[in-house]
Amino acid sequence: MPNKDNMTTMHEKDITKEKSRQKVVKLFVQVMVYAFLVAMAIIVLFPFYWMIISSLKTLDEYRMSVPTFWPKTVMLSNYAEAFTTANLGRLFVNTMIVGVISTLLSLVITVLSAFAFARLEFKGKDLLFSALLATMMIPGELFTITNYSTVTQFGWMNTYTVLIVPFLVSVFYIYLLRQNFMQIPNELYLAAKVDGTSDLKYLWKVMVPLALPTLISITILKMMGAWNSYIWPRLVANDEAHRMITNGLRNAFTDTTGDVNYPVQMAAVALVSAPLFLVFIFLRKYIMAGVSRSGIKG
Amino acid sequence: MVDNKQQWKAWIYLSPAIVLLLIFTVWPIFNTVRMAFLENYSGLQAAGGKTFEFGIQNFVKVVKYRKFVSCLKNTVILCVTTVPISTLLALLIAVALNSIKPLQKILQTIFFLPYVTNSIAIGMVFAAMFNIVGSFYGTENEIVVTAGIVNNVIEFLGGKTINWINYGSTYTANMIVMIVYIVWNALPFKILVLLGGLQSINKQYYDAAKVDSTPRRRVFTHITVPLLSPMLAYVIITGFIGGFKEYTSIVGIFGENMGPADDAGRLNTMVGFIYDALETNSQGRASAAALILFGIILVVTMINTQVSKKRVHY
Amino acid sequence: MKKKLVAVLLMLTMLVTMLAGCGETPGKTETDAPKATEAPQETQGGNEEVKKPVGNFTVPEGGYDGSAVTITFYNTMGSNLSTVLEQYIVEFNKLYPNITVVSTNVGGYDDVRDQISTEITVGNQPNIAYCYPDHVALYNLAKAVTTLDELIASDITVTRADGTTEPLGLTDEQKADFIEGYYNEGKQFGDELMYTMPLSKSTEVLYYNKTFFEANNLTVPTTWAELEDVCAKIKAIDPESIPLGYDSEANWFITMCEQYGSPYTSANDDHYLFDNDKNHEFIKMFNSWYQKGYLTTQTLYGAYTSGLFVSQNGVKSYMSIGSSAGATHQRPAANADGTYPFEVGISTIPQVNAAAPKVISQGPSVCIFQKSNPQEVIASWLFVKFLTTNVEFQAEFSMASGYVPVLKSVGQNPVYADFISKADGGNFISALSAKVCLEQEKAYYTSPAFNGSSTARDQVGTLLTKCLVMTGDNLDKQIADAFADAIDECEYNN
Repeated sequence: MPNKDNMTTMHEKDITKEKSRQKVVKLFVQVMVYAFLVAMAIIVLFPFYWMIISSLKTLDEYRMSVPTFWPKTVMLSNYAEAFTTANLGRLFVNTMIVGVISTLLSLVITVLSAFAFARLEFKGKDLLFSALLATMMIPGELFTITNYSTVTQFGWMNTYTVLIVPFLVSVFYIYLLRQNFMQIPNELYLAAKVDGTSDLKYLWKVMVPLALPTLISITILKMMGAWNSYIWPRLVANDEAHRMITNGLRNAFTDTTGDVNYPVQMAAVALVSAPLFLVFIFLRKYIMAGVSRSGIKG
Repeated sequence: MVDNKQQWKAWIYLSPAIVLLLIFTVWPIFNTVRMAFLENYSGLQAAGGKTFEFGIQNFVKVVKYRKFVSCLKNTVILCVTTVPISTLLALLIAVALNSIKPLQKILQTIFFLPYVTNSIAIGMVFAAMFNIVGSFYGTENEIVVTAGIVNNVIEFLGGKTINWINYGSTYTANMIVMIVYIVWNALPFKILVLLGGLQSINKQYYDAAKVDSTPRRRVFTHITVPLLSPMLAYVIITGFIGGFKEYTSIVGIFGENMGPADDAGRLNTMVGFIYDALETNSQGRASAAALILFGIILVVTMINTQVSKKRVHY
Repeated sequence: MKKKLVAVLLMLTMLVTMLAGCGETPGKTETDAPKATEAPQETQGGNEEVKKPVGNFTVPEGGYDGSAVTITFYNTMGSNLSTVLEQYIVEFNKLYPNITVVSTNVGGYDDVRDQISTEITVGNQPNIAYCYPDHVALYNLAKAVTTLDELIASDITVTRADGTTEPLGLTDEQKADFIEGYYNEGKQFGDELMYTMPLSKSTEVLYYNKTFFEANNLTVPTTWAELEDVCAKIKAIDPESIPLGYDSEANWFITMCEQYGSPYTSANDDHYLFDNDKNHEFIKMFNSWYQKGYLTTQTLYGAYTSGLFVSQNGVKSYMSIGSSAGATHQRPAANADGTYPFEVGISTIPQVNAAAPKVISQGPSVCIFQKSNPQEVIASWLFVKFLTTNVEFQAEFSMASGYVPVLKSVGQNPVYADFISKADGGNFISALSAKVCLEQEKAYYTSPAFNGSSTARDQVGTLLTKCLVMTGDNLDKQIADAFADAIDECEYNN
């Protein structure tokens, strides 16, 4: 560090000092940020870890009153058993069909509705939107009986339709996307109008790219929904040809006393989650792929 | 001034959503209202040919339940604690994730991971973490087989073990466990939404801030939060709605008992009450409780949206 | 302002619907609902001098007419059991080729209940289902379960595909072959009518550490008084132990009521009778045992008590009362050479009066649902009868499941007899458990089932747990309050 002794350099020295102080602060902040993120990551990861080790335990070890944090005997055979016991291939295909179709349709419906709520002016807009929000407030379990009788009357039992259609509209997603759309400056829309661009073209070329991260979030949530849905599919489509993954997994490993062989079930869950996990890694790149840059170009 | 062309266009865009909602959401709601006003309505009895009187007995019965106030209290406490905590944590994590370069990819992946973790696994982990296995806690012939990993950590740090969820545990300890669990459960979704929002914020804002060498905290409070406010409003409002519907997380920790062994039902919530009623096939009472809950959430959401109208910047 | 308008409007819409709704009777479901017969249904109401309650199913003349029907069977069978079932469906089809049986594993017992109670509302219920008495009480709200009395009594002859015949009903020998307690479980619904047939059963048994008992010259307790004694002795030998683990608090309470002959519940009007002096008394006794460190239960312990029983280090227990079907969980992990650290002994649970033992009967029965086509009901009955009276099936199913057969004559089946003869406290622990269950065939009881009986069960379980840990001077008052609370909860839910 240079050492000079006149007034101006004194001042300079202060500045360098200040700068190095800032550097230290910055470094400190960085360290804190990392420490925080890593700590949270460990906490968030814990159930995932638990799923894996549970899938490797014997049933008796799993039932032990003192939980072990590493399986005493590693039961890789649980995976083999999971694979042979449940008809995993079929379950997986069914879930993919339902997941993909319902995600695509749901995205279209959500984008259109969110656009209407975010950009278009029509009578009763606020009222309708509030009413939609209100529908989220009743526990869905109460709907089951009524919806069940509706789909029976439609003759939809044991079809893909019954797994896809009733849950296509999610007020949650419409709301989420509307919030996102409303952030996009109105000037863009008005300019597009002046250029004579049609609404749909504008929606497709400008709004959808700008809201891509949100749309991807919705895709992830919707796919996960297909993966985790249990009560409804069990009720309306529990035949071999349409059975979904969670139903298949839940049923396949019940033992004689009606207990579930959790380790094998966990192994099966891990197996079917693996492809999803890969899709995620792929999607994460997408989310990060400089979405913000696609901005004004439209 | 609303032009007519936009009018019908809007309705066309909305039509698929509206048609489906009418069939699968609005109609069931109407049916719920109907059941709520038919005294002691039971779906199975109706199927058996029984008819029911019109009346408000279902509502009276719900409110007269001796643990009604306690259900309501639990619901409210869980709501007003978990929503702010989880939102704040998620915001911090999302901003932190967005601000770092090395390890960013790995960390982002990790925060998405809970989405591929089955909910069964999550419930089991938590029970194992807080559960004390043993007998006679607090008496001289106390026997503890395992104190649970959380207590192990507390002991390691020199603290005294706490009876979290077993018999003899305090209401406060129970609530702390529930809050931690619910926050943990809610984090991934909120991080996902907020991170999505952050990444669609135009980088120009930040570049401008950099040129002006705006301090970090000011960037956070004056750029990030306002620009993220629609997403924040979203996670807060939906968080409240979800919070009022809290039930499965309590079953996850305490089982169907909804409380420690010596005080079953201590942690029961409004939705738990609804489930109890459905269990005995009392759809009338369940519907009445649901409508009461609906009224409460409606009021809270209205307050929320009023506040967010003033605070949210589009 | 606008939001307020929304609220008002919403409320208005609701009011309108509600008014519209109440005019409409739930008649839509009525037509779809299973109302297979026009036989009088009012059996519960007239409890004064009704001689013979009338069932809800009339056997059509001619019985099974050979028509092609498909019947669905909801159960909780995992793959090992459904393999056995499928074999016997093939056997059944040799006799009745026109009856197609579709077996579906719906999940656990609660899943079966939830699924069916939804399906009943639109008349979509299966033909046959695994059931617990509580479930049947629930389905009975919709009068959806077929009473079996007429079918059992029917002497119509049915011709089978192989040219042989059988009576549609049960012969006297067949009836007599059922273990009585199991058979009577089908009649516990308050109206003397038969709603279910037992399929395979389990009970609670006392597992004890035989090696330890022999080393210390302890005798296996047959009464609760002896149990207290043994606990005291064990506590003296190993002060760090909890001598007894009892898995199910609810079973314990209900069994005590039965053993003392004190009221628990009734299927008739005044359902909840368990708040009485006798019950206060035994609860107080168990409280003192708990305070001395003699015992624990699953809820109090925080895990299956079998974990404590099989434990090899630290805190141990030397007796464990749990399901007879879970015998393999009560066996310690094998050593490297295949031997076991200790031998397990199994016996009947302690009694109030060892001369007249009472043990709970659990495990699935099957019920048949009403259908508009009586042939489906008859076909279902033929299949149920086939499963419950077929000795080979009962033997094989029992060996695969760990449950016990419901027929006495299964004991003479060579394969099963061979299985039982191998009974020991190690590799063949399931056989040992089955053996003990078969020997106590006179002891089985069941408690009344009605809508709300599962609430009572939950409540007495919590009640017992809560009372065990009570301390202080005013114990009687605390116990009385806890009983009053439990009764309140039960009555609220009814």
